[in-house]
Amino acid sequence: MKYFDRLHPAVAFVYFALMIAISMLTTNPVVIAVSYLSSIVFCGMLIGGRQLMVSLAYNLPLLILLSATNPIFVHKGETILFFLNDNPVTKEAILYGVFASMMIMSVFYWFKCYSTVMTSDKFIYLFGRIIPKLSLVLSMSIAFIPKLKRKYKEIDEAQKALGIYSGKGMVDKIRSKFRVLSILLTNSLESSIDTADSMRARGYGLKGRSSYAIYKMTASDKILCALFILVGTASIVLIVLGTVDFNFYPTLSPISLQALQIVAYAIITAFAFAPTILEVKENVLWRCLKSKI
Amino acid sequence: MALLEIKNLSFTYQGASNKALRDINLEINQGDFVLFCGESGCGKTTLLKLLKKQLRPNGSLQGQITYNGTNIENLDEKQSVCEIGYVMQNPENQTVTDKVWHELAFGLESLGEKTAVIRRKVAEICGFFGIGSWYHKRTCELSGGQKQLLSLASVMVMNPSVLILDEPTAQLDPIAASEFLQSLRKINQELGVTIIIAEHRLEEVFPMASKVVLMDKAQVFLCDTPRNIGQRLANDDMSHKMSLALPTAVRVFYKTQGTGQTPLTVNEGKQYIASNFAGSNTTCSFEKASRQEVALQISEGYFRYERDLPDVLNGVDIEVYKNEFLCILGANGAGKTTLLRVLSGLKRLYKGKYRLWGKKIKDYNGNSLYRGNIACLPQNPQNLFVKSTVYDDLMETAKVVNANVEQCKSMVEEVAQKLDIAHLYQSHPYDLSGGEQQKAALAKILLMKPSIILLDEATKGLDAYSKQTFAQVVDALKKDGKTIVMVTHDVEFAAEHADRCAMFFDGQIVSCDNRVDFFATNRYYTTATARMTRPYFTNAVTVDMAVELCNLNKGAK
Amino acid sequence: MPGKKQKVKKAIGLAIMLVAIPLLIVLGVWLFEDRKYNVISMVIALLSCVPFFIRFEKGKNGAREIVVIAVMTAFSVIGRLAFSPIPAFKPVTAITIIAGIALGAESGFMVGSLTAIVSNIFFGQGPWTPFQMFVWGILGFVSGAVFYKKQTPNRWILSLAGLVGGVAYSLLMDVWSTVSMEGSFNFVRYLSYVGTSLPFMAMYAVSNVVFLLVLAKPFLTKINRIKTKYGIFQK
Repeated sequence: MKYFDRLHPAVAFVYFALMIAISMLTTNPVVIAVSYLSSIVFCGMLIGGRQLMVSLAYNLPLLILLSATNPIFVHKGETILFFLNDNPVTKEAILYGVFASMMIMSVFYWFKCYSTVMTSDKFIYLFGRIIPKLSLVLSMSIAFIPKLKRKYKEIDEAQKALGIYSGKGMVDKIRSKFRVLSILLTNSLESSIDTADSMRARGYGLKGRSSYAIYKMTASDKILCALFILVGTASIVLIVLGTVDFNFYPTLSPISLQALQIVAYAIITAFAFAPTILEVKENVLWRCLKSKI
Repeated sequence: MALLEIKNLSFTYQGASNKALRDINLEINQGDFVLFCGESGCGKTTLLKLLKKQLRPNGSLQGQITYNGTNIENLDEKQSVCEIGYVMQNPENQTVTDKVWHELAFGLESLGEKTAVIRRKVAEICGFFGIGSWYHKRTCELSGGQKQLLSLASVMVMNPSVLILDEPTAQLDPIAASEFLQSLRKINQELGVTIIIAEHRLEEVFPMASKVVLMDKAQVFLCDTPRNIGQRLANDDMSHKMSLALPTAVRVFYKTQGTGQTPLTVNEGKQYIASNFAGSNTTCSFEKASRQEVALQISEGYFRYERDLPDVLNGVDIEVYKNEFLCILGANGAGKTTLLRVLSGLKRLYKGKYRLWGKKIKDYNGNSLYRGNIACLPQNPQNLFVKSTVYDDLMETAKVVNANVEQCKSMVEEVAQKLDIAHLYQSHPYDLSGGEQQKAALAKILLMKPSIILLDEATKGLDAYSKQTFAQVVDALKKDGKTIVMVTHDVEFAAEHADRCAMFFDGQIVSCDNRVDFFATNRYYTTATARMTRPYFTNAVTVDMAVELCNLNKGAK
Repeated sequence: MPGKKQKVKKAIGLAIMLVAIPLLIVLGVWLFEDRKYNVISMVIALLSCVPFFIRFEKGKNGAREIVVIAVMTAFSVIGRLAFSPIPAFKPVTAITIIAGIALGAESGFMVGSLTAIVSNIFFGQGPWTPFQMFVWGILGFVSGAVFYKKQTPNRWILSLAGLVGGVAYSLLMDVWSTVSMEGSFNFVRYLSYVGTSLPFMAMYAVSNVVFLLVLAKPFLTKINRIKTKYGIFQK
């Protein structure tokens, strides 16, 4: 089990929310690069190297494509490299394209990490107290999906073995899907009444419903959460105050490395790599424990 | 004072003209184990639902039901939720949430219990049922039997004093059903919880009950202890259709006009036969069906779902003859359903030959395999219905094979006559009873004019009476020259109606014989009658055969 | 007291619509010099769903209604999964519209927006999730608001609804694409995105119309049967 999986859902949620905000709030190339790298590394730790490679194989071409389109639409910038159909292609526009796409990708990977760690039941737990009805509906729909999937397959096979389909052509295929969906609808609506009865039999609708959870906020969770909030908000405040502002147009602004900027970069880098560091620390700890046994 | 008292209860559903319940009077005491049985539609479910305030159906009610002296209607909501637990038939539909722990906590959440309290109660209940290892699982990962046990546990966690169960084992395989009933016995014996259960399969639950209520046509027909029921049925009406559902020992007892204590279990039945009917006649004569041409044949068939998965069919050899009724039996997960998928052409063998009427399955193009040849009745007949009335549904299928509307009409008419479903034409398929749905689905299949009909656990969840009707339908189909293959858990049904039976195990057919020799040779996987009459009789596998031998021996004495 | 509660509910909804969202835009303009529309638009999309969620949360739906909403959501997700081999040919919008007509505006919104959340568990969550939540939700809401009373929408109007739904969905998702690349709203880029996604837009629109024409009648009959049989979602 990964370290982040074991954290209290609130801690993980706070981290991802802050990190995604940081990634989207600035066009500063250093911050974007840090976020991009850290999101990929952490994602790799969560889903495994092989899966990461597969997803990168899809995403890198997209990244290149997105970067390439920017100079076609945007002709701002002073350093003209060449002309395309009488339109200037500028160095600034190209670089902006590269970093903007990197930003989109980093957000994509942070979301991927988020969905791996924050499984639906954690999300439902987090919001179960604020929006109990909504999170129950969410939990139920999620529970219905595998049921309906299995049902869909059953119905499809039953219809096939009855010899209703002609089995040829796209139109017949689509028509058969309509048929199965139609049967599935009657079936699932009818069974939903049973589900509702089972809920009522167990007292759903009584006043003062509580919300049970298997998660416990430990002392270390609290400390980590406080740290995340502190460092994360500090990063956001620094970004909003313009400490690390960066302009691509008309010319690239210089990356200044004064004390304040260095502090900002350090804080943001520490925050972005925090999950990776925690995960590595955990692994090392286990190795040590194992060797002692 | 009785725990639950039902006085002069009558009930009519909203919009219905007939009473669903008529003049019911019953008393149920603390710690009772009450078994309700009767044909589907006799009012069992209605009665059980009326006992739970939250599930009370719409309609007009006369008389009253009291719980601990209070009318159920005036019962405090919370009290009614906690103290009267209710478990339904379908394990699939009554799980509400995604995770096992959430499902267990659901009821306590409704009551507004604090997290610490819920944690403790859930832990206790997991210990009691031995389901702690599922705690973090998703509910969809559980098997049907496990789901039903989870439903039971998530009701028990609220600490009810009465537990109502409406055919809780109807959708389970025999092993899971038996485990479930053992848990019920434990709840009754160790916790003193009153249990009220409706069931069709009585072999195992009947001896557990302290009181049996036989219902017929909205009324209570008999209410007594299990030991007396056999006796009273015998005195009352020998051929009453209720007797079909009773355990083997009871049926043999009253069909042989036994006196004294009614035997309830196989063991008691054996003693009853030993002391009364042991004699020189030990073997029944029976008719073997003559062999005809081979309808379908698999030789050394291998199948697996994915390359890296183990073989599900592992060199299977099977021959089905024309115009016979073959039952394929076997435990859960042995691969019976997979075999059926291969037989119906939904899946292809990766090695081995499958011939249908001597022709390779590959040579049937497009729909020629189905139309006029093979048709499969799925386990859940509801999977076939598309339209909102039975008639429209049948017409729709008829149109697939016929161009002419008149032809369709006469064809539907003919099939409906044969299966006796013409009176259901205007009903919605989902409003029919299980047995009726089965027949309507079968009608759809017959419209495709198959020569071979495959049945997937067709008797699952049917009451004894519907089973008998179904057997008659199968007989009629055989008379029409159809070949029928059924995959089933139902040994009693196979022993009574099949021509041949085959045992499926580890991806192969391990034994295959005519029904009598098949079950007479089996020691463990056999009918209750066979187990009960051994060693006094060698091949009595059905109640009728046992009774025949008993009577012969009695005469000899 | 219910009157007062209703007022509070409405006030919260209005407050979000009239105060929070403009405030966010102003904040976006002032703090980020008009360049952070990606974050702001995401938050706005999310916030726009909040009044509907609050109404659902405080509403008087019983267990049966709630389960039917959950089932319709799951059903719509299954529809998206079933047609996943065919690009852009998805019944989600159609099922949402049908759910809106059958179950009413508020439940239609719930089915639409929950479909976005749940289906993205399988197709990938991202900053686009709030947009889809809002777009599908509103489609369900509007169709419910227009057709719930009559229950029998005319084929032409239904086709029009499908067409509009498909175009609106495509146009709004292009807004998201533009904003996410630039931070601000570049109209030229937007037009070109709309241009490149025209085939998709056409496919969305056509598939919506096809799905609605084929599925609306039988599905409405089926849902209405359950409604009358069990006495739920009554007007």
